[in-house]
Formats: sequence, C-alpha cells, structure tokens
Amino acid sequence: MDIITNIAQGFIGWFTTGGETFTGWVTNIIPQIVCLLTFMNSIIKLVGEEKVERTAQKFTKYALLRYTIFPMLALLFLANPMGYSLGRFLDEKYKPAYFDAFAAFAHPVTGLFPHANAGELFVYMGIAQGLQQAGYELGGLAVRYFIVGLIVALFRGVITEKIYFHLTKADD
Amino acid sequence: MAYRNIKITKGSAGFGGPLIIEPTETRNKVLCVTGQTISPVAKKIAEMTGCELVDGFKTTVPDDQVAVAVVNCGGTARCGVYPRKHIMTVNVEPVGAVGPLAQYITEDIYVSDVSEKNLSYTDETNASAAKSAAEELEAADAAGDNGPKTKDQAKADVAAAQEGQKQNLVTRIGVGVGHVVNKFFAAGRDSIDMVIRNILPFMAFTSTLLGIISASGLGNVIANTISPFCSTLPGMIFISFICGLPFLSPILGPGAVIAQVVGTLLGAEFAKGNIPAQYALPALFAIDAQVGCDFIPVGLSLGEAEPDTIEMGVPAVLYSRVITGPLAVVIAYFFSIGMY
Repeated sequence: MDIITNIAQGFIGWFTTGGETFTGWVTNIIPQIVCLLTFMNSIIKLVGEEKVERTAQKFTKYALLRYTIFPMLALLFLANPMGYSLGRFLDEKYKPAYFDAFAAFAHPVTGLFPHANAGELFVYMGIAQGLQQAGYELGGLAVRYFIVGLIVALFRGVITEKIYFHLTKADD
Repeated sequence: MAYRNIKITKGSAGFGGPLIIEPTETRNKVLCVTGQTISPVAKKIAEMTGCELVDGFKTTVPDDQVAVAVVNCGGTARCGVYPRKHIMTVNVEPVGAVGPLAQYITEDIYVSDVSEKNLSYTDETNASAAKSAAEELEAADAAGDNGPKTKDQAKADVAAAQEGQKQNLVTRIGVGVGHVVNKFFAAGRDSIDMVIRNILPFMAFTSTLLGIISASGLGNVIANTISPFCSTLPGMIFISFICGLPFLSPILGPGAVIAQVVGTLLGAEFAKGNIPAQYALPALFAIDAQVGCDFIPVGLSLGEAEPDTIEMGVPAVLYSRVITGPLAVVIAYFFSIGMY
C-alpha cells in the first residue's frame, strides 16, 4: 500500500512543478501581454489596413527596403500569417525571397511587439523567461533580437532571391 | 419604382457575408440603428436598392418589412439582435460573431466592417464597374435634387430621414468617441481571444511538459547534453545547420511548436546558469533556422504567387536556409558581444 501511495504522490508531484511553472507564466507574462496586445490591436484598427498597404508599397522597390521595412510593416500591422499577403504587391520573382524575409523576422519581432505573432511567443519568451529568472534585464536582448532579425531578414531575402533566380534560370 | 438587388461584402477587418439584399414590395425598408446620425452606409444602401430609409432611433417598423438593418455595434447587443430575428444585418464596425448573442451571428445573415465601397450591384461582375457605378451615384449625389428621376423617391426618403439632423459639434464628437471606443473594445476582445486560443494552451502544454521533464530527471540529461552545445559558437552553428537541413526543416517547422519548446527548455538552462547569458541571442537564431519552412506554399499563395513560383520558391527557401541558418547565428553572436 505504501508503495502505491508513494508512486501516486510522485506522479502528482510531477504536475505540481508544472502547475507552479504555469502559474508563474500566467501571472508574469499574461497581464502585460494582454495590455500590449490591446494597445497595438487598437492602433492597427484605427490606422486601417488600406493605409498600411498603401504605405508598405512604397518600400518594395529596393532590396534593402523590400526585405527589411516592408516585412516589418507587414508584421507590425497585419501580423503573422496575414502579413504574407502583402507579397502580392511584389513582382512574381521576388515573392519567395519576401516569404523568407518575412518568416525570418516573424520571431525577432515578438521581443518588442508580441502582437505581431502572439501565437508563437515562446521562441523568444522561453529563453527570455530563463534570463529573467537568472536576474538579467530583457530590454537589451529584445532590442538586439529585433535589429539582428532585420539584418537576417535582409540576408535571407537577398540570398533566397539569388538562389531562386539561379533555380529558375537552370529550369529554362 | 423597381428595387435593385445589391451585394454587400465585408471590410478588411470584417466578418461574414457577402450578403445579397433582395428588396421586395413588402420587405423594402433599410433600418438604420446607428445612434444620432444616419450612417452613410445605410444611406448608400437605400439609394442603391431604392428602399426606404428608416431611422431606428426615431421610429420602428415591423420586422417583416425590413430588408436589411444597419448597425454600428461594438459587439454587445445590436449586432446580435437583428440576426436573431433573421434580419440581414450590416455592421459598420469590425465586429465578428461575439457578444451574448454570438450564436445567431452567422456568415449568411451578418457582415461587418462595411463601408460604402463594399456595396455593389449584383448584376455587375467586376470591381471597376462597381466603382464607376458608385462614382456615378456620387455624382448624382452632388447634383442634388436634380438627380435621375428613378432615384427621386430614395433621395426624398434619405432627405426626410436626415431632417433635423444637422450634425452639430457635440454629436460629431460623440460619434467620434464612440467609434474609437468601439475599436478599442474590439481590440481588447481580439487580445483576450488570442490569449485564450493560442497563448494559454501553449503555456498549459509546455509547463506540463517542463514539469515532467524536471521532475523525472530528464532535465539533467538535457542539461548535460544540450547545454554544452549551446555554450559554444560552433555548437550553435551545428544546431542551426541541422535545423536548416532541407529535409528536416519542414518537419521541424509547424506552428513553431518545436522551436518554442526548445526555447523554453533552453530558458530553464539559462535560469540555472548552465548556459552563459550572452549566448541567448545566438541561441534564439540557432533553434529557429527552420522558421516558416512548413508554411512556404501557404505563405506564397497568401501573397498570390503563381503555381510556378511556388514550385521553385519552396526549394529556393529551403536551400537558402542551409546557408542563412548558420549565418544568422554568426551575426547574432557578434551582436551579442557586450550584451550581458
């Protein structure tokens, strides 16, 4: 009987640890996220999709902007996954590269603007939470993640563009 | 006069529709329930269909005479009341199936975030034609009472409904504030929705997993195997290379679940000090070389790419990741210098 009791207690114990983690996340992360999400969602609704689309189109001409500012605006105002739809403003040959740049930035954006990809927060949040527990400030990480995200988006865009051009030429 | 059928589509942030409004001899009223002023959308619907415009705040009409109701509801009552009565409902606010009457708000009877440009005649097929028709109407509007005879009745109704309704400053401020408040309210609802549908379930699943891992001793195994990898630049480059392999990346991608779980596991190691804090930035890129790889065809078709583009675009992105995955880690590594 003791053995069974011990096993049962051990089994419950697994979930006590899980429960503590869960409570910690809910009380530490959710309140701030809710307010931030509400604020950003309000701004998006007030600005309106059409205005964003009109503005975003101005950034499609040069690779430097096409794979940085353009996906950034798409993420900030249309979020993941609808931001992919802005690809329709690009020439057909740039679409795969835009996809790659957008995807590359889809997680780096969440450090500062969680609303842009609220369903996939924990890539950043998982690591950030750990650092916070260890007593580090997160501001520096979030900003650097954002900046490096833009640089990586540009690299991915340019390199994928080259590879796509190469593949399609080989195909002809 | 003859009534015309119109089609109403949802706006960019809207829900439901498209609705086809088919007025008949008995069902020929546009009921506008938008507070102190008549919504321009209701006005336009009345003009286009030839229906009589009725201000729901001043008078009422029997439900069976209402062809369509126009509301500006932020998501509590009005948006559900009319669908519940089986009356076609147009909401000018971007509100979906929400509120206490959400169950009655269905796509076949309700459409939201509607503005004047979402209205078109059913017998016109392309957008430009609809637009020119709309312009024509506007021109007719500008011409005032001298507009085409066929629209006279509708216009008279509109004028009657507008009577005594000089938009004074107080009303305009009131409408403006209401509009903004509605948007904030809808934004709050979206946020809570997101938390309940996506964030909380992920937290539930991951915290359970973490609990089991740490309580069962598996945590120590991970700490001893993965942590050393993530404490060196070559180790992280290796991880990103693996994640970016073209035959693995689409499998690792879906919903970023794996990246999120790995991120959380690594977070626990950062918390314990098993991995030095300055490696956080490159680690974020190391575990994420596969981001979106499961989504390439869908993402490209969202961008209205041709099938040919998708066919060659998928391998282009996948191959690119083999190079850019490790490259991202290196860039992040240099940017992390001096962070902590």
